[in-house]
Amino acid sequence: MANTVIGSSIVIDGEISGDEDLVIQGTVKGKISLKESLYVEGSGVVEADIETQNVEIAGRVTGNIAASDKVELKSECRVVGDIKAPRILIADGASFKGNVDMDEKAR
Amino acid sequence: MAQNEQTGIIGKGIVIKGNLTGGGDLVIEGRVEGQIALKNHLTIESTGKVQADIRAEELTINGEAAGNIDASTRVAINASAKVAGDIKAPRVVIEDGAVFNGSVEMDVKLPDDI
Repeated sequence: MANTVIGSSIVIDGEISGDEDLVIQGTVKGKISLKESLYVEGSGVVEADIETQNVEIAGRVTGNIAASDKVELKSECRVVGDIKAPRILIADGASFKGNVDMDEKAR
Repeated sequence: MAQNEQTGIIGKGIVIKGNLTGGGDLVIEGRVEGQIALKNHLTIESTGKVQADIRAEELTINGEAAGNIDASTRVAINASAKVAGDIKAPRVVIEDGAVFNGSVEMDVKLPDDI
């Protein structure tokens, strides 16, 4: 039961922070800062700035993303915002608008 | 699990500040500060700490809760719970060992001669 799941009918308006994995199937508006991995599933809608280690997105995200390790945009996702991470993967079929900053100096 | 397919879980390491609304059941093992409005069952586990006004259908508290509680069916404060705030619900259960400070309003119609 360690995993945190924001179910598809849940709406959070505010700030989420923490040091464990987070799965979003519902709606989150505000700000997310995690020390672990964030998964935005197909039904997930996020309007927030995201700061985390890893993020995998299959749903919709509006906001800037800063990851210390990896950002993965899956084929179904729609993402609007700037991404900053050392590793960024964009799958075929993904919809993305924004800047990408891989910041090679930080490696 | 068919009925609970939309259960959400806020794990131990997670802190939420703000408003949390929705249907479906929710289990809080971490911390929530702000407001919670839920259509179904909310459970605050023993590791959970909630500082929020809570509105839900049914509420089970094993952890700590501070704030006013408004439940449409039932509030259960279990032995390990610490609760501060006013409770409004038709059915309120407080177990032996629970710590509770606040008022309870069950909305009971008292007989006229009392």
